[in-house]
Amino acid sequence: MSSAKLSPGGDLGGVEDVPAGSAAEPSWTVWLRDRITRIVPPGEALPDKQPAYMSSWIYVFGVLTLAALIVVIVSGLVLSLGGVAWWHISGVGHFVNSVHLWSVELFFALMVIHLWGKFWMAAWRGGRAMTWIIGAAAFLGSIGTAFTGYLSQSNLDAQWIAGQAKDGLNSVGIGAWFNVLNPGQMLLWHVTLLPLIIGAITALHVVLVRRHGIVPPIDADQS
Amino acid sequence: MGDEVIAAGGAGRYVNWGVVHISLTNLVVIALMLLVFALALIVPFPAHRRTGEGDSR
Repeated sequence: MSSAKLSPGGDLGGVEDVPAGSAAEPSWTVWLRDRITRIVPPGEALPDKQPAYMSSWIYVFGVLTLAALIVVIVSGLVLSLGGVAWWHISGVGHFVNSVHLWSVELFFALMVIHLWGKFWMAAWRGGRAMTWIIGAAAFLGSIGTAFTGYLSQSNLDAQWIAGQAKDGLNSVGIGAWFNVLNPGQMLLWHVTLLPLIIGAITALHVVLVRRHGIVPPIDADQS
Repeated sequence: MGDEVIAAGGAGRYVNWGVVHISLTNLVVIALMLLVFALALIVPFPAHRRTGEGDSR
């Protein structure tokens, strides 16, 4: 691959092709570009066709979960604009807070139905074990994220939950790195740390699904 | 082990079944999820027909 070189005058008048690295030692950018383009087969990142066996509503719950997650994130961003007291003093804030809660409820319901479908169709087959494992990580991480959300309601209910949670966590030896009675930490974990982690896990999960394709039915013809 | 529905004034109704102690609301949500799952498997999916092109790969 080549890169253009500026002429001494600063414009591109004297462009000459300078190979980036050699055939024996490609540059790291060439290497990285090749790796990225080979993650998903060509045309599979956003396919316009699907196998005939996907003609079932059970295959819709993955993308429904993703849609709910997007609503969760957008409503959460709006809540962050108003701050932790906003939903107590504003009707609009109260509404956005409700959208955030109910989109989370939908997110979990849809994700669990997606989990049931993938379990019963043994979707880890055909080299898709990591897809399943990362999905499980997304599920567990989402629960932790939701818990920090419950702690961030800035009301007496949240304070009660923190008081109960500390006992449960301490009883199994958890709590060295975080303190559920620290609302500042719990809020920042909820709006920054955990959404970034969940977002990364979700992106990885979707990329793997596109990379390996949708698993064929258990009784599909193997020929 | 019989079902017991408790009205706990203001705190909502709970169902006790052995070690399971769950709110009636939560139980209803789980039942609805199971129903949606069953419907997803049963309800026919609209077929997308294209002239001269099949959906199979």
